[in-house]
Amino acid sequence: MRIERLQTRIIVFFVVLLALVQVAAFWFVNAANSKNAHAKIEEELNVGQRVFARLLDQNADKLKLSARVLAADFAFREAIATHDTGTIASVLSNHGARIGADAMVFVDLQGNVVSDTLRPGGTSRKFEYPALLKANKNDATASMEVLDGRGFQLVAVPVLAPLPIGWVVMGFAVDDSLARDLRTLTELEVSFAMEAPQRPAFPWHMLASTLALPEQKALLAGLPAGADDTQRLVINLSGVDHQALMIPLDDNSNARIVAVLHRSLDSALAAFERLRNTLFVLAVLSIALSIVGSVAVARNITRPLETLASAASRIEQGDYVEPVRIERSDEIGVLASSLNHMRGGIADREKRILKLAYEDPLTDLANRSRFANSLEQAIEEARAGGFSLTVLVMDLDRFKYVNDSLGHGVGDHVLREVSARLLATVQSAACVARLGGDEFAILVRHATGGEDITANARRIIDALEAPILFEGQPLDVGASIGIAKFPEHGGDAQTLVRCADIAMYAAKRNKTGYAVYEAHYDTSQQEHLSLLSELRRAVERNELRLYYQPKVSLHSSNVSAVEALIRWEHPTRGLVSPALFIPFAEQTGYIKLLTRWVLREAVRQCGEWLREGMRLTVSVNISARDLMNRDLPDQVAALLHEHGVTPSLLCIEITESGFMEDPANAQKVLDRLAELGVKLSIDDYGTGYSSLSYVMRLPVQELKIDRSFISHMATDPELSTIVRSTIDLGHNLGLKVVAEGVEDLAALKMLRSLGCDDAQGFFMSKPLAPRALIAWMRANDNTFDCPNTATVQKLR
Amino acid sequence: MRTTGGHVATLLTMLGATAAAGDFTVELRDAAGKPLANAVVYVTAKTAASAPAAPPHARASIDQIDKEFVPRVSIVQAGTEIQFPNSDNIRHSIYSFSPAKTFTTKLYSGREAAPVLFDRSGLVVLGCNIHDQMVAWLYVVDTPWFAKSGADGTATIRALPPGDYRLTADSPEDQLAATESDVKIDAAPSRQLVTLKAGA
Repeated sequence: MRIERLQTRIIVFFVVLLALVQVAAFWFVNAANSKNAHAKIEEELNVGQRVFARLLDQNADKLKLSARVLAADFAFREAIATHDTGTIASVLSNHGARIGADAMVFVDLQGNVVSDTLRPGGTSRKFEYPALLKANKNDATASMEVLDGRGFQLVAVPVLAPLPIGWVVMGFAVDDSLARDLRTLTELEVSFAMEAPQRPAFPWHMLASTLALPEQKALLAGLPAGADDTQRLVINLSGVDHQALMIPLDDNSNARIVAVLHRSLDSALAAFERLRNTLFVLAVLSIALSIVGSVAVARNITRPLETLASAASRIEQGDYVEPVRIERSDEIGVLASSLNHMRGGIADREKRILKLAYEDPLTDLANRSRFANSLEQAIEEARAGGFSLTVLVMDLDRFKYVNDSLGHGVGDHVLREVSARLLATVQSAACVARLGGDEFAILVRHATGGEDITANARRIIDALEAPILFEGQPLDVGASIGIAKFPEHGGDAQTLVRCADIAMYAAKRNKTGYAVYEAHYDTSQQEHLSLLSELRRAVERNELRLYYQPKVSLHSSNVSAVEALIRWEHPTRGLVSPALFIPFAEQTGYIKLLTRWVLREAVRQCGEWLREGMRLTVSVNISARDLMNRDLPDQVAALLHEHGVTPSLLCIEITESGFMEDPANAQKVLDRLAELGVKLSIDDYGTGYSSLSYVMRLPVQELKIDRSFISHMATDPELSTIVRSTIDLGHNLGLKVVAEGVEDLAALKMLRSLGCDDAQGFFMSKPLAPRALIAWMRANDNTFDCPNTATVQKLR
Repeated sequence: MRTTGGHVATLLTMLGATAAAGDFTVELRDAAGKPLANAVVYVTAKTAASAPAAPPHARASIDQIDKEFVPRVSIVQAGTEIQFPNSDNIRHSIYSFSPAKTFTTKLYSGREAAPVLFDRSGLVVLGCNIHDQMVAWLYVVDTPWFAKSGADGTATIRALPPGDYRLTADSPEDQLAATESDVKIDAAPSRQLVTLKAGA
């Protein structure tokens, strides 16, 4: 049998153990008792024997004394001396009565019985036990003898007058009364029996006994014949064993007399029997108590264990609130305390894990997962409560620049500051999360849906307006925010975030700061994405084209340079604007492949034109990513060599932000290119944050003023002032200054008057396919003199 | 005490001196040949009436000294009065249940009791009722010719007239059987050995 429960096991163990101990103790005590009982009965018999012997001796002494006293009685002696038989008899009976003797006999010197109280009539006879008659009174002895079939303890004392003249024989009857007296003193059953050897069939005759008649017979039947010494016997009387001592009392006569002292084993064992019963009751009681006790002990152990188990199970279920309530100082208390500590430890760790899992460690904002969960939950609540939600996705502008140029420490500082401003700006009910990188998300719950959903976005933009200070230096970080609404824009978290994301990109693209999601964003977005995937195949399918926009010298009106601009002739979409795919190519890194293709095609075209006799400097735009490619100069050199193009015919245009992202590397790459003899130009000048000190360090030959300054300079005096000073600045630095986005004659004229070196724009020509460019060149004789308005319009 | 015995003997010798007679010495031995002291002998004439009777008021004495009869064995002629002085400073109460003379006399220290006349022959065993261990043997005989043996075991009957006699010897202390024999006495002193055997 297997016992599963600890409590049952403890109980069974204790009870079985105690039962074994009790049984063993009971067995040992019982055995010892039995042994003790036998020893005790033996001892009682021995003591009884001694007491018995002593009592008989005392009786004999008493007899002797009495006999001596009688023998010395003068009147008695006188009666004897004078043969006064009547007097003798009366003295004997008188004296016998006085001391309680049962037999008084006077025997003369010849051994004849003179007088006998047993037979007052008197028959002339010899005294039966002449051996008792001793001349010296000091030799007198007592003896058990039989007179007239009765047992007597006899003593014979000589009567001296002063010489012996006869013997006084006195006897105490050995009768039931004596036996009873002896029993009283010895606590043993006492019997006196006479053995008559002349009757061998039934040799024993009872003289006196404390027993009832039937038992007397049984006792006599149990006595062995002819025993000379004290014997130990076990005699069964009425079905009860008696331990017996058979003591021969005298052997002066033919009739042997024995005393049998005995005691029932039962009576001796009775006390032990009671003890055994008591022991048994005690054993049963103690086992019962042990059951109760062990149940209590087991409960005492198992109940806290159950408490501990349920506590552990609570912890397993993630309930760390309820501590184990066991106030004990023992091991279980220690265990409970350990469990409590463990509970606390697990709770803390789980909290940390949850924090790691659901919080952004940098800003302590919720992370993407937490935000997704919150959003899902909020959607459910909103759906149930019938209110609306707004999801804002915010991406920092120029963060990558800050992070890469000023280090991650600054980037982290910016992120923390932005998160702090976000928290300070939005409602407390909003959930602010950092989705990753410089992307943040804000969930705003609206009770009614009547709020202006753009208010939050505007406040955030305002909040980020103030520059972020890092070690006292201001950092300007803008942001673009996309806004999506539940339930209008999506029914689930994923859709809402995606919509907000799309809106954010739209805002970024359109530089509007924020944008609420609109369905067409989504399609254009998806268009971008699919374009991107198709762009991968565009190179192989030869769908990319380079168009060239001429640069016109304002000094000579010659066209000596062109800018290569990429075009994608999509088989189904037609011509795809580079603005649609270049930014995404930059984001994905695909731009490197594009740049390589553009460089190769531009250099090839340049070489082709060269062989055709047209010496045109070709400008190629490369991205910031390309500037980090250290192999770029070698690749350029190889291309130039391959197509037999003079390095000075290749001009590489970079944006200010392009080299600002990793100025050190960019510097190295640009230096190598300059060493090759390749021209370098700064594109879109005036939009970035680069200081002129940077520009001065670069081996550039050309500065291209951004089109945003040029296109409205004719109507905006401030812009024209900027252009003028920029031109002066470029000239002062020894740079050629090129104006982009020249769209009208006024601008052209103004630029010429300002001393700008080259101009480029739709007013002169849009970007043209190589063949169209050649045609345009030939039509203008390789020049573009400043025409009148009509001419310009004709050309466009 | 021997001096007392001596007086008796002297007295008897003086009485017998009137008749022509010789001394008769008896050597008393036990069966082992050991001389028997304190044994008594006496003779009675086998021929008629030749023995003189005891003189009137013949006296003898048996003292009590240290809870003992002294002498323990005495022999007197019938008709002799025995004086029982008490040399002890305690009381004695002497008695006899013997057929020859039954009596009791209380003896007080320092007070002379009346003498007791022993007029019948026979052995009188004397005891003290106060002191059971005291015992004395007094032979009362019908003849003037008797003697008691000394330490050497010889007893001499003096001035015994010649003639035929019956000799009786007894030694009560030793509990030997009394013996009788016939003796013929001449004028000359004679001597005879008597051996006493153990008897009832």
